[in-house]
Amino acid sequence: MIELKNISKIYEDNTVALKNINLVIRKGEFLFLVGPSGSGKSTFIKLLIKEIDESNGNIYIAGRNICNLKSSRIPQLRRNIGCVFQDYKLLPNKTVFENVAFALEVIGKPDYEIKIQVPQALKLVGLYSKSNSYPYQLSAGEQQRVSIARAFVNRPPILLADEPTGNLDPGTSEGIMKILSRINLIGTTVLMATHDRNIVNSMRRRVVELEEGEIVRDQKRGVYGD
Amino acid sequence: MIRPRYFFSETFTSLKRNFFMAFTAITTVAITLFIVGFFAVIVYDIQGIINSIKSDVELAVYLEDNISEELKKYIEQEVISWKETDAVRYISKEQALERFKKQNEGSDILKEIEGNPLPASFEITLKNPEKIDQVALRFYDKDGNCIEGVDEVIYGRKYVNTLFSITAIIGTIAFLMVIALLLAAVVLIFNTIRLSIYDRRKEVEVMKLVGATNWFVRIPFLFEGFFEGFAGSVVSIILLYFICNFLLIRGERLIVDTMRIKELAVVGSGNFLSYTYIGVVVLGGLIGLLSSAIALRRYVKV
Ligand SMILES: Nc1ncnc2c1ncn2[C@@H]1O[C@H](COP(=O)(O)OP(=O)(O)OP(=O)(O)O)[C@@H](O)[C@H]1O
Ligand SMILES: [Mg+2]
Repeated sequence: MIELKNISKIYEDNTVALKNINLVIRKGEFLFLVGPSGSGKSTFIKLLIKEIDESNGNIYIAGRNICNLKSSRIPQLRRNIGCVFQDYKLLPNKTVFENVAFALEVIGKPDYEIKIQVPQALKLVGLYSKSNSYPYQLSAGEQQRVSIARAFVNRPPILLADEPTGNLDPGTSEGIMKILSRINLIGTTVLMATHDRNIVNSMRRRVVELEEGEIVRDQKRGVYGD
Repeated sequence: MIRPRYFFSETFTSLKRNFFMAFTAITTVAITLFIVGFFAVIVYDIQGIINSIKSDVELAVYLEDNISEELKKYIEQEVISWKETDAVRYISKEQALERFKKQNEGSDILKEIEGNPLPASFEITLKNPEKIDQVALRFYDKDGNCIEGVDEVIYGRKYVNTLFSITAIIGTIAFLMVIALLLAAVVLIFNTIRLSIYDRRKEVEVMKLVGATNWFVRIPFLFEGFFEGFAGSVVSIILLYFICNFLLIRGERLIVDTMRIKELAVVGSGNFLSYTYIGVVVLGGLIGLLSSAIALRRYVKV
């Protein structure tokens, strides 16, 4: 489903964020990307949605090399990859419902689909009752869930989540993990970047560990660290 | 899938938010296009007057009503004998009136005419029109008065030359003003679009990350720019309409009547005004699109 071959990313200021990454993620897999701050997790995720370009190597998604994708094909790629951003990226002047609907509107989905899919996504993350609230009226965990709903509302085959439990208390984090597990259960490939030790340990899923931009561990039913 | 409602609401939310900027931009476009349109009409008009004079006689010698037959004969013989003369035509008072009636068919002017105020004349065409000044002078005595029997000598070239220099001056001034104003209009629209791109930078970022196409991102901004250009052009058309119909056409009729130019100037007749209106709208829309396209190129990464 997703394959990285010799992927490197060197930023403009010569920071080496990723070095020679080789990795295969199968369809339907749930994968934790762990590692200390600055190890390259967000960079990894940004490469997959082409928010940034790799310096070297190739990435194949569903058999297609996305590294030489024409810029006009990028929207199509992103429609197939839902992304939960580390900083949520919710629009402050739109309600919860509108924020989620926005993701469908701007890819040209008709109103009747929006009316069906947005409530479904909001029910999935347990926020249907907050449809008309604005982001500033929500707690951090709730905002994070809106962000998940938006990433998933289009039912993409791949979901990327960058620290979806960052700064949340354990109880709230657990709730978010339940949502992601449910999304994974219906066949979605889920990749989650985190440095939340407890969560990784409790889930027992595949763990890929990065350190200074290199893969130092890839474990089937792993735990965080040693 | 096209979502017109989405684009409209995006555009108008943004126009409302930047009302003052948009208002300034629209006003500038309106003034610019008004001047463009107005000068286009003026220049076209004067050109029309020039043409009608040129296709006219080169020299018209209007005779006094009480001129004797002998004197008339004498003048005619004299003119024919000049080596510059190509042809001489005598137009009697009756012929003059007939011609005037034909030219002004259906016009209100005819009702105001009593009797026959038009003079008889000789219409002289020259072999070498550049000699027109010399030839014309022969109808004047040393003191600058017309010779006996002649009331007035009118020759197109004099008007044509003045008109030419007037049009040249008007044209140059208009051109410079229009260039400056067009630039101002582009800069102002550019600025409003830049502001609304800035206002909506988060939306734009999210849109792109969830897979909106570049066109989808651009269209509301292009539409906003287009709207500003279009609204400005509509305002300028309204201004042009009033100015042309209530001032220009009347003024011109006056000039045309006093100058005895045979064809009424162009503004009132023909389709030129409609073409000007269409041109103004097209230009307005283009200015708007162009300005927002520049802003998008600079501020929205593809
Ligand atoms: N735009 C950028 N320009 C230059 N260097 C960058 C840029 N973005 C990230 N980096 C650097 O690349 C490295 C990896 O950053 P990245 O954001 O991928 O880390 P991370 O694993 O997501 O960290 P965190 O857990 O804190 O989110 C860091 O050293 C960072 O400073
Ligand atoms: Mg990160």
